[in-house]
Amino acid sequence: MPPTDTPNGVLDASARRRLAREISRLATASAHSVLRAPPTSVAPPARRIGFTGPPGVGKSTLVGKLVERRAAAGTSVGVLAIDPASPYSKGAILGDRIRMDQASADPRVFMRSVSSRDSQDGMCNNVADILCAMEVHGFDEIVMETVGVGQAEHAVKALVDTVVLLMQPETGDAIQALKAGILEVADIIVVSKSDLHGAPKMREVLASTVRFGAQRAVNWTVPVIGVSVETGKGLDELEAALTAHAGWVARHRTPAETARRRATYRVQDLVLRRLEDQLATLSPDDYDLPLPELYQRVLTGLAQI
Amino acid sequence: MSLAGKRILIAKPGLDGHDVGAKIIALALRDAGAEVIYTGLRKSPEYIARVAVEEDVDAVGLSILSGSHVDLVRDTMRHLRAAEGGNIKLFVGGTIPQEDNAALLEAGAVGIFNASQRIEDVVAEMDKHLAAD
Ligand SMILES: Nc1nc2c(ncn2[C@@H]2O[C@H](COP(=O)(O)OP(=O)(O)O)[C@@H](O)[C@H]2O)c(=O)[nH]1
Ligand SMILES: [Mg+2]
Repeated sequence: MPPTDTPNGVLDASARRRLAREISRLATASAHSVLRAPPTSVAPPARRIGFTGPPGVGKSTLVGKLVERRAAAGTSVGVLAIDPASPYSKGAILGDRIRMDQASADPRVFMRSVSSRDSQDGMCNNVADILCAMEVHGFDEIVMETVGVGQAEHAVKALVDTVVLLMQPETGDAIQALKAGILEVADIIVVSKSDLHGAPKMREVLASTVRFGAQRAVNWTVPVIGVSVETGKGLDELEAALTAHAGWVARHRTPAETARRRATYRVQDLVLRRLEDQLATLSPDDYDLPLPELYQRVLTGLAQI
Repeated sequence: MSLAGKRILIAKPGLDGHDVGAKIIALALRDAGAEVIYTGLRKSPEYIARVAVEEDVDAVGLSILSGSHVDLVRDTMRHLRAAEGGNIKLFVGGTIPQEDNAALLEAGAVGIFNASQRIEDVVAEMDKHLAAD
């Protein structure tokens, strides 16, 4: 590509190949090698949207439909689907892509699946860097799919501008979500599969939870939207909410704040991985040490490069 | 034997609508440690090549029962090269008469499997080809 061309997220064959390889490199890179050459993005930042929620809730199906619509309207979109790896086998079937096949045939779309296998928080390793590497190509939007488990929501929150949380029409999930504090990370809540029985009830429960919960953000009330990809219901409403939230972000968050939040996640992720490596080097004898000494040993180890 | 760290795309080009075989091989490859992506039914060679490149796979396995395997392998290889994925190894499996083997190798396939082969042997042979990298 000649240097005068501003990348616009519509990739030719060789850019597609390059980005794909770069993502592979980053997804398996050690903390050390990332630090040697951290990707930095010079392109104007993409609008980043994260979709999260329990396995099977309908994330990939919804992302596929939404991306198909947005690409058809002229938006270039990079999709990163982080698939939960089965804890029972070493390998993985990455199943997100098959639900996005319409969208992923569009030239304005780049779609990549990665496994969350090696990461503790349901993300993949170096996800912040992978998003940066994608951003370099000038996508209008970057969409990330992650399973909402444990720490993942907070990671999503740090890395994207808008978090869409999916819940299906089944109250068990909602109560679990409330307990786990998952609802708190959502900017938009979607009741997925709203063609199914129980959807209106679920929406009511969630809407009243949101209404009576402490307001998290100034001037933003989290909308609860019933969506069915099957029937198309709620898709327009969801797109309108995404637009509204983009406006909210533009008014309420400075680019510097956003950059700081992402940098915090990035450095924390690297340090935590380094800590894991460090803990793995401890010998059984080390555990005979009194706690303060063990603690000191780990800290000393961390400080060595 | 280990396919750990390898990424493999299992794809179904052509018109036949049976993917039991494709799914069985996908699961066997997963159990051997690979990350496996499956395209679903009736995908074009162009689409398959594009997915292979975006997903940065080490190998593509085409499952074909429709009888047009030689053309589909040739087309997929052509699109892989056009997408700068000419180094991705192409395997083909399905109902494939022995006499087509030469044409398939000529068209770019590195491994050919037919339905009567044991699944362990298929995985072992793919492993052998991929271990070379
Ligand atoms: N009835 C109905 N089923 C849906 C809808 N969206 C997704 N599904 C189904 O839900 C299942 C899981 O979908 P998937 O997108 O893979 O969920 P993910 O694990 O959250 O990514 C699949 O069988 C889908 O066909 C919907 O709008 N209505
Ligand atoms: Mg999914």
